[in-house]
Amino acid sequence: MAKTLMVVDDSATMRKIITRTIRKAGLSVADEILEAGDGGEALEKLKAGPVDVVLCDINMPGMNGLEFVKAARQDPANANTQIIMISTESAEDLIENVKANGANGYVTKPFTPETIQRELAPFM
Amino acid sequence: MAIAQESLSEALLEGTREVFETMMFMTVEECNELYEGIGGQALLGSITFEGKMEGCLGLCCDTEAARLIAANMTGSDDPSDVPDEELADAMGEVVNMVMGAFKARIVESGEDIHVSIPTVVSGAELQNSLGEQAHEVTLTVNLDAAVARLTLWYREPSARA
Repeated sequence: MAKTLMVVDDSATMRKIITRTIRKAGLSVADEILEAGDGGEALEKLKAGPVDVVLCDINMPGMNGLEFVKAARQDPANANTQIIMISTESAEDLIENVKANGANGYVTKPFTPETIQRELAPFM
Repeated sequence: MAIAQESLSEALLEGTREVFETMMFMTVEECNELYEGIGGQALLGSITFEGKMEGCLGLCCDTEAARLIAANMTGSDDPSDVPDEELADAMGEVVNMVMGAFKARIVESGEDIHVSIPTVVSGAELQNSLGEQAHEVTLTVNLDAAVARLTLWYREPSARA
């Protein structure tokens, strides 16, 4: 069954790159990949219906990625939603922190298409 | 955090190469000797940072170079297909990634530098400044058929006016 995905990033260009990479990877995803410009918008879309995998930037205006993970994990309805963070930050303590707060994976920008495929594959 | 200017320049060039080669499939060659300035309408993407070192990283190129970069980022075959409204967004994302790649090369374990959200302005003869106490590292690069200028302004936090 095709998985539902959402890409959360304040940059429309980055949302386009990630969406295109997912499409090219040949993964079994729903026809529509949801998009949100910050954590608050992403939370609203999660309330509207379940999403299997969320790929979320960290450094965003408004609700940032870490705040989004914390808020999303407060709602039991998102228990089965896999959240993969995508960020330019590569500090180990930050990666550990977002995972401790409920993120299931972490991708550092810049990334290759293979990196996105490898990170998504276990959840597809 | 006293890092030699030469090391910062090298980290900036390596970080820029990583971003452009990985995300845009563009080669990066330093070309300071050939640099004659970026004329006409240009875009300047900037991102500030603070912590052990504070300052600003800027990426400046003319509109056509920005269009080429944005087209390579999004997989568009024809740069003229990239709408104007996407140029600033793409430039902001590029300077954000270059900052991240640069930071990963200069920050030692346990040290921290906090990075802002990028901003982008457009116009002519664009330039950033951080005051008289700031050091400057400038790098001009050839990106396939385009030229871009990266400038890092930095200072120790205690040097703030």
